[in-house]
Amino acid sequence: MKFLVNPSKFNEIADYIFKPILILSIVLFALGLLFALYLSPDDYQQGSTVRIMYVHVPSAWLSLLTYAIMTLYSIAALAFRIPFGFIFNTAVAPIGAVFTLICIISGSLWGKPMWGTWWVWDARLTSVAILFVIYLIIIFMNFSFENRVVREKVVAIFILVGSVNLPIVKFSVDWWNTLHQPATISKLSKPSIDPSMMTPLIIMTFAFIMVGIAIAILRIKTEIISRKSYLS
Amino acid sequence: MKLLTKIIFFLYREYKLNLSGVQDILTNIIFFFVSIFIFIFSIGPDKETISLIGVGILWTLLLLSSTLSLRKFYQDDFENGNLLIIHLNGFSYGFIAILKTLSHFIFVQIPFLLSIPIACILLNISNEKLIYVFISFTIGSLILSCLGSISSSMNLMNQRNYLLGSVIVMIFSVPIIIFSVGIINLEENFNSLTNILFGILLIVFAINPWASGLCLKLSLENS
Repeated sequence: MKFLVNPSKFNEIADYIFKPILILSIVLFALGLLFALYLSPDDYQQGSTVRIMYVHVPSAWLSLLTYAIMTLYSIAALAFRIPFGFIFNTAVAPIGAVFTLICIISGSLWGKPMWGTWWVWDARLTSVAILFVIYLIIIFMNFSFENRVVREKVVAIFILVGSVNLPIVKFSVDWWNTLHQPATISKLSKPSIDPSMMTPLIIMTFAFIMVGIAIAILRIKTEIISRKSYLS
Repeated sequence: MKLLTKIIFFLYREYKLNLSGVQDILTNIIFFFVSIFIFIFSIGPDKETISLIGVGILWTLLLLSSTLSLRKFYQDDFENGNLLIIHLNGFSYGFIAILKTLSHFIFVQIPFLLSIPIACILLNISNEKLIYVFISFTIGSLILSCLGSISSSMNLMNQRNYLLGSVIVMIFSVPIIIFSVGIINLEENFNSLTNILFGILLIVFAINPWASGLCLKLSLENS
């Protein structure tokens, strides 16, 4: 597992696994879209709009997961002096921002026919919007510092402070009475979703993860190269 | 005893500095009142509407005008080297952050606290609610000072994007706004909401010396 903290090891492993991951993501995406658009049944109340869920839910999960991994890497980078964490933070923040944007846009596209409005000021929606703004601030901070050492450490501190928002996003549907429905799939209980809809959701989640990993590998490799040219 | 003398001298120095720049603080307060006027002009002078949304307007404008002067939180001391001298005199970076937060609370937020009664008259907020506004603003402005310390120490070396500090403070002040306006509007929930607000204050007060001290150290080492 050393490639997770060591840039040169990461480069070696990434060269091996990049093409398989790319192929796997294309296959999974094709399969998932086939399942989501043709093979899965319509919902008895929502009709065909339930298919938006197959994009909405994976992107929402991944936006939270990306931020959680960034938080872990920030702790590792600040506490154990692992510079790969800073590289990871710089490279991965735009990916998380795009996932959050996809989640917000697909959610409001679903909300218009179902709730009758594009946007409500509900706890889950507001906290996800704040998560998006936090991602944007991280990206802007990456552009607006002259000094590299100060920039990466300040961004890591900001990520740690901003991770307060993560549990608020996760538990907002349980703590407040929201329009957004509570979690359907949880670890402790049997999921209350039908297997015919569960299958495309799982496939789409893995497809999103593979696409995210593929883009992250490209961005991290670019970041490593740019740092090498910066140092020399 | 020696430490106490040092702290008193530090606060005396802050007092002198703020007294020489008293027009800045007054400009903040004028901004606050002018924006109340603008708000009233845009809604219309209907008394019912104003008293309905007055508390929200008051808190929003207090937040906006107290984030205006954040740029000066550490910047002057950082640029003329006073921060380093204070550190060499035996204050750790975290302790400097606490002292600066305290002085920001005393010299920037207390004038707002004193101008709240006039604003309440302008916004048609009843006298019974005034005490709740006072309590919520006293706790909330301490939280705002801590957040301001964190964001302005983060942006010490940031020479391009000045507004980022204010945006950071405003993003993290969302729960403060929710609970403070809740204290004023829902008087039956006063105890629980005040406890939550106080809890947020303690969390932020604990994070503040760590985060801003680290940022100050980074900026001073790399400038």
